[in-house]
Amino acid sequence: MTSTLLRLGLALGVASLLFALPAVAQGESGLRVGAAAPVVTVNDLDGRPVNFGQWIGKKPVLVEFWATWCSNCEELLPRLREAMKAVGNRMEFLAVNVTVNQTPERVRRYLQEHDVPFRILYDDKGTSIRAFQAPATSYVVIVDAKGRVVYTGVGGDQRFEPALRLAAGIND
Amino acid sequence: MRPLHPLLLAALVGAAGLPGLRAQDSAAGRPAAVLVSGPREGDRAPDFSLAWASRDTAGAVPWFSLSSQRGNVVVLAFYPRDFTSGCTAQMKTFTEQYNDLFGEDVVVVGINADSLETHQRFAQSLGLPFRLLSDPKQEVSKKYGSADQNGYNRRTVYVIDRKGRVAYTNLRFGALDPKAYSSLKAAVSDARRN
Repeated sequence: MTSTLLRLGLALGVASLLFALPAVAQGESGLRVGAAAPVVTVNDLDGRPVNFGQWIGKKPVLVEFWATWCSNCEELLPRLREAMKAVGNRMEFLAVNVTVNQTPERVRRYLQEHDVPFRILYDDKGTSIRAFQAPATSYVVIVDAKGRVVYTGVGGDQRFEPALRLAAGIND
Repeated sequence: MRPLHPLLLAALVGAAGLPGLRAQDSAAGRPAAVLVSGPREGDRAPDFSLAWASRDTAGAVPWFSLSSQRGNVVVLAFYPRDFTSGCTAQMKTFTEQYNDLFGEDVVVVGINADSLETHQRFAQSLGLPFRLLSDPKQEVSKKYGSADQNGYNRRTVYVIDRKGRVAYTNLRFGALDPKAYSSLKAAVSDARRN
């Protein structure tokens, strides 16, 4: 009896630690690959609500968290444009402005000066930032048609293309 | 009814929240847990002394000591690394919204394991109006439950009131989260009034 209790006790103790530890790193590293993508509603630049549920689980989705002052995002932009051209309407591209040090006017000015063909959202409540655990601007999340996260990455030189081709069903 | 075996009891207590583990809402709004061993709100803030750099200088004396700031509201911002995207976003926001978030009489310091030279370059690159403290062995970061196992800090923020007590903690500060900044602003404002 004592040894059973001992084993159970140790198992529970270890389980409690395992439960606790991964969450420490998650805050800075983004969503886990394989996790279900969160379904959230975020406003666009005109304040109209946009529900991610219209795409998540129905078609592949690429979400980028960006800001006008983010040099990594600017570095990433041409490759995202290329990717969008390659996959066409097989995938939804959402560019979520993080609104930190931003105004809608500043974002609009930026869009006039840069060719950003994605659906632009303005997350002034931080809903998607928290739900997607966005650690930094230039954070890209690719979600497959089943609504599962298949890629996360940060930085201007991140290699998202293989996961994007896979999620979009492009065989080359 | 027989009393629970001490080991089982210990494990159940552990599962509910080991000493040093405190439940906190996760980024996705689900219950999660983070490893926390820092002071809680109302506790006396552990004193420390660290070398610092600013955009103008590195390694000047005296070192920054928390106890010497008694009478001021102090914001301790533990963050992972200089020159990374999340940290740049956070420090840029602190800089651009300094007066709105803090006010001129508040003492803000950033803390991580980076060297004073790196700190000075980072402070210069963003024009930071506050000091960055170097905690190479993460001794202070550990006291505040902010040291990661990889040698980097987790992103946490503490507000220390004029009497040296912890007035506010955010143990998972979201560098891109507008709510994190508004909550910090409110906490600083409260601490300044008291």
